[in-house]
Amino acid sequence: MSDTQLADWRNHALTLESEVNKVVVGQKNPVRLITTSIFARGHVLLEGDVGVGKTTLLRAFTRGIGGGYQRIEGTIDLMPNDLVYHTYLGEDGKPHVSAGPLLMSGENLSVFFFNEINRARPQVHSLLLRVMAERTLTAFNKEHYFPHMLVFADRNQVEKEETFDIPSAARDRFMMEIPIVVPSDAAIMESLVFDTRFHDVDALVANVPEDLLQFDQLNNFASTLQNSISASPTLRSYVLNLWRATKTPTEFGIKISGVDMNRLVLSGASPRGMGMVLRAARVNAWLNNRSAVLPEDIHEVFHATVAHRLVFSPVYEMRRTEIAREMLTGIINTIATP
Amino acid sequence: MRTRFLLAMFTLALAAPAAYADIILPDVNPKYVTIKEQNPERDAGYVVGDILDRTITLTIKKPYELVKESLPIEGFEHRYRGQISGIELVKINTEEHSHSDSVTHVLHLRYQVFTTGKLAKPAALRAEIIKLRNASNKTVLQYRIPSYSFRISPLSVFGSVKLKEEMSPFVRPLRLDASRDRLQLGIAIAILSLALLCLLYIFGMYAWLPKMGAPFAKAYRDIRKIPNTEQGLQNAVARLHSALNQTAGSVLFTSNLDEFLQKKPAFALLKQDIEKFFTLSGQVFFASSPTAHLAENPKAWLQKFCRHLRDCERGLVPHLAAKASH
Repeated sequence: MSDTQLADWRNHALTLESEVNKVVVGQKNPVRLITTSIFARGHVLLEGDVGVGKTTLLRAFTRGIGGGYQRIEGTIDLMPNDLVYHTYLGEDGKPHVSAGPLLMSGENLSVFFFNEINRARPQVHSLLLRVMAERTLTAFNKEHYFPHMLVFADRNQVEKEETFDIPSAARDRFMMEIPIVVPSDAAIMESLVFDTRFHDVDALVANVPEDLLQFDQLNNFASTLQNSISASPTLRSYVLNLWRATKTPTEFGIKISGVDMNRLVLSGASPRGMGMVLRAARVNAWLNNRSAVLPEDIHEVFHATVAHRLVFSPVYEMRRTEIAREMLTGIINTIATP
Repeated sequence: MRTRFLLAMFTLALAAPAAYADIILPDVNPKYVTIKEQNPERDAGYVVGDILDRTITLTIKKPYELVKESLPIEGFEHRYRGQISGIELVKINTEEHSHSDSVTHVLHLRYQVFTTGKLAKPAALRAEIIKLRNASNKTVLQYRIPSYSFRISPLSVFGSVKLKEEMSPFVRPLRLDASRDRLQLGIAIAILSLALLCLLYIFGMYAWLPKMGAPFAKAYRDIRKIPNTEQGLQNAVARLHSALNQTAGSVLFTSNLDEFLQKKPAFALLKQDIEKFFTLSGQVFFASSPTAHLAENPKAWLQKFCRHLRDCERGLVPHLAAKASH
């Protein structure tokens, strides 16, 4: 692919980003990370308080990407088969079976939006594991493929009633876990409350032009993009050190106040996780019009791609967001490049 | 007759100095003479053969002057009531210093003990009588240098001696030989001084002067030694990264550069150069950044840049137009 095509796609990506930023204000960093994730072909998990715009953000992106879009709400009684098919009695009085959200769009499924994923049972998470990792599903004696599918999920960590924690294996399937926080800028806060434009979510999301990206070309382009952006030996060495530090932070002198570092980490970032870091970093370099990954590209995506993969001792799990942030910041501040 | 008279007068004239010496003259008024004595350190424990040095400083005011012939003679052995005292003047040296209204005579007298006894006995460096002549009216007066008393000890003790009873308050205690201890003390002090010096060097961050061991000062010295090759350039950039990280207290990137400059405003002047350095670093290590527009050789620029950083580190304002010095 020529440099021109890379530049064209970059323009599309920046347009999409710009349009979404008009709809969801004050979330530039999450918007950049989701854009990165789309071009790195990774699933996204949004985390934040209630009513901060997680769903709106994902719906806006979904509209811009184009292709088949399916959505399901996570509930405590949701079962895996609810994702695959529906059964009902037809007008003829006979039982009928129709495709569920996963199968309905067939291979054109581009975004599968799982709202409130932590309300779904572990059985559902389990099904999702396979769909996310392999983009295939066996149903009705047939293998179904979803080559263009991205899973966008969100959860809030405030409510714990009737929710199920997403196991680390499932978390690891998500390329990024992006925290969404209320913007602190007073003008934005005021407009979110008083500007009626933000009160009608459907109308708001409709402002994003449809099909800004050609969803069925994203896989090919992502592959080309990954091959076009280089990573020097110095950078490779740097990334390997970052990886080692997530496993054994004490060896690199990482300390967190009030935390026994020898007991903190049960498992650091996985090879798949670090691979995703590099994929995302390459996209970030491309979005910044560079042909090679810089440490700054790694930093841009490091928290979002690694924090949710760390497995801490149960005693520290309640504080995982805070501890993970502090630990990863410590790693970046400690490991030198070159 | 006349010849006899002249002969008698001549004989008298010859005999006059000898008679002069034996005659007891009146003492000079003490206001004309100032004396300063420097006597031997101890006044007891002398045995036969011992030397006693005594220095007398006499300042004689005008119109009086010293009759040098009246000074004691070497080899003169003092007698007391017809008995030889056993203390002999073996040497005399004199110095003379003239002033406007006085003359100072320094007499270095050396006596030797030629007597002993079975028991300790008193002795004295005799009171020397010197003569002073009035230059205006030619009258001669005498001045008595005070005697100095001391005690002579026997060479050996006869019979049993109770030290407790024999101890004299005039005799200083005999000292042990401390030369070996002095040597050891000297060596210990030398080692301690060296250790303190090393400690100072270590606490001074391996530098003798303040800021000499600071990160950029060290980096500048290192970078100067690095060869101007491709590998050398990488090493120089890495060395400078290390100094920047050390100064910042964490790894410095462009993303946290502003934070660094807020903490260390002394480096704010070099913000553009630091950004240029990161661009150069990106070129060298990641081969991605657009070419840094350096007007000179990268190694030379790095050296100059590092020197500017070192100046900031020392609280100086770098002369940005200056060329790299070697």
